[in-house]
Amino acid sequence: MAAVNEISKNARTNILAKLKAQVAGADYDKLPEEPKFTYPEIKQVDSVAKFIENLEMNHAEIVKVTIKNVASVIDDELKKRNIGQLLYGENGQYSAILESYFNNDVKDGAGVQLEKYDFLLTDNKERLFDHCPASFTSSKCSIAATGTIVLWPTVAEPRTLSLVPPVHFVLVDAQNMVSDFATLIKTQQWKDKLPTNALLISGPSKTADIQQTLAYGAHGPKELIVLLLNS
Amino acid sequence: MAVQQVNAGESKYAESARNFRSNVKRDLANAELRGNFRGAMDYLMDKRKNAFPDSDELETLREQCKLIKQRCLAKLPHLLEQLEDSLTKNGIKVHWAETIDEANGIIAQLIKDKNGATVVKGKSMVSEETALNDYLEERNIECLEADMGEFIVQLAKEHPSHIIIPAIHKNKEQVADLFAEKIPGFERTNDVDKLINEGRRVLRDKFKNADVGITGVNFAVAETGTLCLVENEGNGQMCTAVPDLHIAITGIEKVVEYLDDVPPLLSLLTRSATGQTISTYFNMITKPRQQDEKDGPEEVHLVLLDNGRSQAFADEELRQTLQCIRCGACMNHCPVYTRIGGHAYGTVYPGPIGKIISPHMLGLEATKDLPTASSMCGACGEVCPVKIPIPKLLQRLRQESVKPKGDGPQVMKGQGSNRSTIEAMVWKVWSLMHSYSTIYRMSMWFGTRLRGLMPAKIGVWTSVRTAPKLAPKTLHERVNARNKHAAKKISKQGNQHGSR
Repeated sequence: MAAVNEISKNARTNILAKLKAQVAGADYDKLPEEPKFTYPEIKQVDSVAKFIENLEMNHAEIVKVTIKNVASVIDDELKKRNIGQLLYGENGQYSAILESYFNNDVKDGAGVQLEKYDFLLTDNKERLFDHCPASFTSSKCSIAATGTIVLWPTVAEPRTLSLVPPVHFVLVDAQNMVSDFATLIKTQQWKDKLPTNALLISGPSKTADIQQTLAYGAHGPKELIVLLLNS
Repeated sequence: MAVQQVNAGESKYAESARNFRSNVKRDLANAELRGNFRGAMDYLMDKRKNAFPDSDELETLREQCKLIKQRCLAKLPHLLEQLEDSLTKNGIKVHWAETIDEANGIIAQLIKDKNGATVVKGKSMVSEETALNDYLEERNIECLEADMGEFIVQLAKEHPSHIIIPAIHKNKEQVADLFAEKIPGFERTNDVDKLINEGRRVLRDKFKNADVGITGVNFAVAETGTLCLVENEGNGQMCTAVPDLHIAITGIEKVVEYLDDVPPLLSLLTRSATGQTISTYFNMITKPRQQDEKDGPEEVHLVLLDNGRSQAFADEELRQTLQCIRCGACMNHCPVYTRIGGHAYGTVYPGPIGKIISPHMLGLEATKDLPTASSMCGACGEVCPVKIPIPKLLQRLRQESVKPKGDGPQVMKGQGSNRSTIEAMVWKVWSLMHSYSTIYRMSMWFGTRLRGLMPAKIGVWTSVRTAPKLAPKTLHERVNARNKHAAKKISKQGNQHGSR
């Protein structure tokens, strides 16, 4: 490693010296003014419709839910797909709701087994990749202009929870919808508090790498089911 | 289309770029290949057009993004230092490399330190530039491409023919044939869903077991120390979230100053590239795995590569080359690229952007034919989201390639290597002729009188055209004669009027 560090150190010195020689004496106050493109404003009443339209165009499934019925909606969707397991975050925002529904054998939830993501991925890759057919996560907020769901993965809901299982349920609260990405990072001051990993998701995984033919489920989820809480 | 290194210490792409002319002949003769490109380019041009319904909006965005990139380049050395500071504070280690060998060496060492044996790689053109796969394979480290297109070209032992859609030169039947030949147990089908599913099956197994993930970077944000990745498939996320070690590699020009610079660039990038308002995934990595977090890499490294970029940076005009955000719109709209395809160029980056960036990476000696492979139609410059004046830069590179050796300062490696003494002499005589009217008229007089001696075959020109023939008299002579004739007529008419 020592030799490599030396190479990197020399390269750094040389590259910066070459570049700095070119910008010596540059006056950065005299740079031309940049036009600021502003996205067409989306009225609050239209933003939910725009969000749904964009996501559906990108092949996501949208189901409108309430806090009361969200668990039973998930239950129905899982049954439709013959899936008997759901991976969810430990101490996630909606974990208690899922637990009280699915862990109560008397209710319809019988048959669907809840599994907590309470393990370290390093030692459990097989489990996550081969034995978790569906997952549930919450979301931080959403973007109407592009039909985008914003995730800030946490200790409770790790990033691979939304990536590896073939079916991903994500709960989006319409209250936290913003018009566009630029507005979002400004109003929420992202630059001061970016997490380990921030993710923008705008549909199920896809590719058009073979003869421009769209296919879903390239590497990530084949299905993205958006549970839209329109409170 | 498998490219091989010939000269030690030189990128293997230098030799294949030298073969440009024979590559073009080979690929133009392949009707299936031409059909594949034609179909793909029509599709992509259409997608881009529909993504920008409002031309005013497009122009504002282009102007804004051009100025963002120019500002970031104007401050490049300072932003690189700031980026290094921010990343280091976040726990991401930064490495620097001047050459492709240095970059490969650093990456191989990082892998070795972790006892890594298998690597999965998200789409990264910079790692193509360094021929990282070959380098690691020689050291018994398996490096598997995880982007579907890259996976296909790697299976076929080829190289990407497009910077966004690597296997664009293949149709589904060819992919099906390839899978049937290379993947044990694959049942041959032309169904694209099934083909992708097969790729998914093979690659998920690799993600699960890989020790290392390698990716490129679309934007590296200096103020926050964030690496941003644009993708649709999820392979980039797999590479950055599942293995314990993540190594990102990128060119020094990918740094942007503010987080606020990212949204306009992202919007312009995805719309210009594939006509999407946004990609399926936009992944922003700011730290390695933190305490109590259950996934993500323990270590994140960034390798910053120069490889000729600082040479382009040193010239104010050529510096604009570095504004590129790698959307591929220039190649999608290029009539030459559409016809000859991406492999003919012999370089990592094909098409118009390849023609202006490769000379800095490989030297003008190896790439001297590339700037001439343009009809100067201007389409690339018109669609470029960050307004790189590609046709103008092509012209500039043509000039650099025929500059007399030792004339003026050294602008780039290999300058003057396309200079021919005969051609230079012809132009000298031409310029002399046009500077002195006596010489011009005399030579024209002789030229027209001796027109019978003009050969009927003039090399390449007459291979598809008839030979030009000089007129019996020069234009000067004809105009003079006409003027004389007219003057006579007027004086005759004047006499007639006078006699009435």
